[in-house]
This record gives sequence, C-alpha cells and structure tokens, in this order.
Amino acid sequence: MWERTVQGRVLNFRLAGINNQNFIMQDRETGSWWQQVSGEAILGPLKGAKLERVFHDELTFSAWTREMTGGRVLVPAADTAWKRFSEGWEVHTAKAPVNVRTALDNRLPPRAVVFGVELSGSAKAYPLDRVLAQAPLHDRLGGLSLVLLVGPDGKSVRAFEARLDSMELELVRPMDPEAGDVVDVRTGSRWSFTGESVAGPLKGRRLKPVYVLKDYWFDWMTYHPQTAVYLLGRTE
Amino acid sequence: MSTPRRGPRAALLGVTLVSLAIVAVPVLLIRPFAPQTPASLALAFTLRRWSPLVTLAALAVAVFLAVRLWNPGHRRLARIGVALAVVLTGVAAWGARQNHFEWMFAPLPGPGFVRASAAGFVAPGDMVMSVYRPGDPVAYPIRQLAYHHLVQDSVGGVPIVATY
Repeated sequence: MWERTVQGRVLNFRLAGINNQNFIMQDRETGSWWQQVSGEAILGPLKGAKLERVFHDELTFSAWTREMTGGRVLVPAADTAWKRFSEGWEVHTAKAPVNVRTALDNRLPPRAVVFGVELSGSAKAYPLDRVLAQAPLHDRLGGLSLVLLVGPDGKSVRAFEARLDSMELELVRPMDPEAGDVVDVRTGSRWSFTGESVAGPLKGRRLKPVYVLKDYWFDWMTYHPQTAVYLLGRTE
Repeated sequence: MSTPRRGPRAALLGVTLVSLAIVAVPVLLIRPFAPQTPASLALAFTLRRWSPLVTLAALAVAVFLAVRLWNPGHRRLARIGVALAVVLTGVAAWGARQNHFEWMFAPLPGPGFVRASAAGFVAPGDMVMSVYRPGDPVAYPIRQLAYHHLVQDSVGGVPIVATY
C-alpha cells in the first residue's frame, strides 16, 4: 500500500503486467512501470523513484471494528464476476502454480504463508504456523528486539519493537488470557494487541509498530533474496 | 507481369507481421505464471511504449500498399490476402491500445464506501487491510483487493493506492 505523490506530483495507477507473479503498475502521467511489492519504479522516466509506504495492518473485520470507530469500508463492485471470484479465491490461489526466476530453496513450501519483516536492512520471514503457536514471539532482527503479537481473534498479526525508552520488554501470555492481551515480565503491565499498555505502571505507553507483510514464501524470497527464516520451536 | 508487384506484396506481409509481433511479444513476456528477467521486462516495456505509434504507422503503410496492389481482376485468393493483411494490421493497432490485464483483473475506477455498521457484506472473520489516518480509518476487504489488485483512494486527504 503506497502513497501516490512522487516529486510533488500525484500519480494515477493501473495494472500493466506481471513480474514473477507480482504485479507491475503503470502510472498514467509518465507511463513508468512500478513493482507492486517494493513500490519502486523499475522502468520508464521515473525509474529508480520509490513510493512512500502507507502503514497498514492486515486484520480480521472483527478486530478492525473492535478498534476503530467511525470507519469506512470499501464496497464490492456490483458485478457477478466478483461474486464468482470471491467464492473460494483463497483455495484457488493456494493451488495456483509457482513459476518464478528465483531459485527457491527448501526451507519452506513455495506457498507457505509468512510474515515478512525488514528492519535496518535485515529481512526475515516468520511462518504463519509458528507465529500462531508461539505468540508473543520474540526475536532479534537488524540489531533490534522485535515481538509479533496475535490478536484476540487468533488470526490477526502485528509486530512491534519490544523496547520502551531504553528498556527491553519481555512479553508473555498472562495466566488469564483475556482479549489477547500480553504482560511484560519486568513491570507486570498489560498490553493490548494495539501495542498500547492498558493496565499497570506503563499504562498509556505505546510500542513502536513494525511493518509486517503477509506474503507467500516464494514472493517474499523473490524480492528479499537474502532473507532469513524463523524456524525455531513449535508449529502448533 | 507479376514482377513489379512482388516488392509491395513482400512489404505488406512484412508490415503485417511486424505489427502483430510488436503487440504479441510483450503479451507473452509478461504473462502470468511465467518467470520474467530484467531484460525481458525491459523489452516488453519498450514494445508496449512504442507499439501504439508503430502499429498506427504500420496500418497507414498497409492501407497505402493495399490500395496500390488492389486489382478487381486478380484472383480471389490474392484479393483476400491483401484484405486480410490490412485487417490484421488494424487488429494490431487496436491491440496496442488495449490493456489486457484490465480485462483479466477488473479495475475499480470509482470505489464506493459505507460505514462499518452497514458493511454486511464482510463477515467478522474476513481479513481486511486497515489504513488509519486521524479521523479516517478505512478497511479494504481482502476479497475485494484480491480481485481488483489495485484500488486508488485518498485517506485523510493523502492520495494512496491500496494493492494486493
């Protein structure tokens, strides 16, 4: 998800092609081609320019309505093609072939769902099954402490820096797991899935969100060839 | 008798094949489920960029050659060949102006929105992309983004493109 303003000019995008199963967008203003996953212009007059990422979360609708008030929701197109498509598209997509120029290794199946994180130039993929089984999942990446949380719906995932001021935080599931909250071991404060402390000495403080891309392993690896993979511990 | 026409005929055939190729090659290079290299992308981009102009010029040349070659007294097959060359060059000129990815993945030029309480078309467990700017939280259901792949919007006054 990207901002559309480049060098002071608002661009309008349309689909223009596919590069190793990731979309190419074209702006009407200059005709340049942009890679959807990286937000970078790969060909044309704006080649080398980068779009500014719009921070976003991938949440269940129930998690979203719980947190947001007064929000708006995109309405489906009124055509029957969309209805046909939307019945079971996930199943169809999961079965679609994978045919990319990247030499895929055997660390994960090509269509394994991962949460990709990039911090200070280091990339790492966290497989969905490990995140769901181990959350709050702590790790270090690019010299920073990172924690992945799973929401109260058991499906939505967010990442934060596990650090407040100069204090490293260790978050654990509380004895009474309610609403997906976690507790930090040092102060006993409760933290909600939004990254805000809701009770305890740190109440009101916020963790710094870290952008996570939910992606297929083959796509993440194609655009992050040096990526590490988190393969420790339980899968469920 | 036929010798003076051999040149224009070959030219007409050449013009037709070139305009068909200039449209077909990028379609093949950037098709879904094919691996692409930086070089094949660059070639597809160049051909896509120039094909509207080149195919239009080719059509003009084809029409000119066809008029010169046209002779009602010729064999039927020869006349069909000349007419077909013009038609195919015309098809190429039309094809160069099409975006077949927008046939496969329908664009959503004027996206509509409703308040969350009225969004009965989204189930509680459905995934949405959530973008938040003060005063303007937006949810883009994944089922819709996975169909259109690209939705243009402004969130909190900032022009964005939602992609999937």
